[in-house]
Amino acid sequence: MAHIVEKKSKKIKTTGKFIKDFKLNYDLYLLLIPGLALLIIFKYVPMYGVSIAFQDFNIFKGISGSEWVGMDNFIRLFHSEEFYKIFRNTLVISIYKIVFSFPIPILIAIMLNEMKKIAVKRVVQTVIYLPHFLSWVIVGGIFTTILSTNGLINGIIMDLGGESIPFMMSNRWFRSILIISDIWKGCGWGAIVYIAAIAGIDQELYEAAEIDGAGKIRQILHITLPGLSSTIVLMLILKLGYIMVEGQEQVLMMYNPTVYETGDIITTYVYRIGMGKMDYSFSSAVGLLNSVISLVLVWGGNFLSGKLVGKSIW
Amino acid sequence: MKRKISFEDKAVTALSYIFMLMLAAVIVIPVLNLMAKAVSSSTAVTSGKVTVFPIGFQLDTLKSVIVSEKFTSAAGNSVFVTLIGTLIALFVNALTAYPLSKKNLSCMKAIMMIFVFTMLFSGGLIPTYLLIKNLGLYNKRWALILPTAINVYNMLIIKNYYESIPDSIEESVKIDGAGNFMIFIKFMLPLSKPVLATICLFTMVAYWNDYFSALMYIDKPALKTLQLYMSEVILEAQQDVDTATLDDLMNISGESVRCATIIAATVPIVIIYPFLQKYFIKGIMIGSVKG
Repeated sequence: MAHIVEKKSKKIKTTGKFIKDFKLNYDLYLLLIPGLALLIIFKYVPMYGVSIAFQDFNIFKGISGSEWVGMDNFIRLFHSEEFYKIFRNTLVISIYKIVFSFPIPILIAIMLNEMKKIAVKRVVQTVIYLPHFLSWVIVGGIFTTILSTNGLINGIIMDLGGESIPFMMSNRWFRSILIISDIWKGCGWGAIVYIAAIAGIDQELYEAAEIDGAGKIRQILHITLPGLSSTIVLMLILKLGYIMVEGQEQVLMMYNPTVYETGDIITTYVYRIGMGKMDYSFSSAVGLLNSVISLVLVWGGNFLSGKLVGKSIW
Repeated sequence: MKRKISFEDKAVTALSYIFMLMLAAVIVIPVLNLMAKAVSSSTAVTSGKVTVFPIGFQLDTLKSVIVSEKFTSAAGNSVFVTLIGTLIALFVNALTAYPLSKKNLSCMKAIMMIFVFTMLFSGGLIPTYLLIKNLGLYNKRWALILPTAINVYNMLIIKNYYESIPDSIEESVKIDGAGNFMIFIKFMLPLSKPVLATICLFTMVAYWNDYFSALMYIDKPALKTLQLYMSEVILEAQQDVDTATLDDLMNISGESVRCATIIAATVPIVIIYPFLQKYFIKGIMIGSVKG
């Protein structure tokens, strides 16, 4: 009984507090309007629009006039072999990216830390951060140029007596090219977080280790890496959260029909089916499935990182 | 007494220098290769002889690219979208972050969740595309600006910064009878200059490099942005290898045009980037980790 009363009075209190807060600070609440309006129009209205995934959408009839078909689009999706192919491609490419490109920024941060000549270090840093600022259009253009049959790489291969390889047309090479260009573009920038974390490690630890006779390698293994561990876990979890949506612009810029087999991922497939074939409903169904998986991954990742290292994105 | 520098220590340092210099080379060489191709004669380019030094130096290709109407119009559109977009986005994000930084006001946490949820879930490509069409924004430059204007991630970074500003400053102003909006304009914005500078740069780069929005919402040639135009040049060159012989007759190979276009769009970034670098780095430090 007492509990209920308490609950009730608490409720009155909160509504009362809201009215009081609003009266005192109504202008603060008004400041939210532009941001909220943009958010509702451009983020929440499309969430309502996703209902076309359950329709046989007709652009002339609109959402209200189109026929509802329930789960038909999803049934079609799960019966299409193409879907399994792109689903597998998405996972494989993302996992390869994590396996191969994730450790490199950590290595870069550690190595930069060993470079004591400030001038050299600065030049190197400036150079390796640069590709982050180039768009995927530019990076895609750079890679298609150096990998073309008369490009730089094939020139080297032929000088060494090899045969030229049509990299951009090869299903054997395409995924490697995605991963390498991903590393090329992001490895330097990705190192900044770790550089900051290394700067935060207590220098006395290194001095003590040196007195104890520990060499550089042991210092790295026993001081630097443990000092980085929470950052590493956080970054890894963040990366895992985005495996379903990563790489759209990159693949769009680099692929072509000959490498759909290995390079087509969910987001590019949604684009091709939706915009190319105008199959709006089916494409939205694929997109919705992807969004739901991402929601679980991102939310789960944030929850995990909060639990494991006490850091989270929100 | 200092320990003698051992062989191991020297090896680690030497390896670090070697590896990092190699990495820097791997990053620079492709860019130099494109630069060299952009200013080499087209016969040298098509023969595949050009490495990092130009062969048969000429600036005609680069000039013809830069003065071509398609390029200037695309660059103009990109400048417009980037400038107006950055102004709007910066203002809206800074404005929205201000009330949200007042955690003890009722409902703010719930409103916060409304914002955060959009980081987790999106309606997706096609519903957004249909919305843009229905709003009459298709083939309007606003379609490239407004949908991404509110960026929850950037907004959260600004909000965290506001929270680090001591309340006492605001309260002393409040006593003078200033309204919240005036406090925001006159005090919060100037006090948050460091974080706003960083977010401003992040936003500029995002608008400048945005290719997908233009691909989705623009097909009028006069409204194409630089990224969209460039992607067409690159993808076209990838496809019509057959026409290369025809182009050779006209003394301009598709490849040197492609390289010149990429270089013409890259050089401005390469030039301003060193000046902006320190802001970016500061920004990633502010934004990367929330305690």
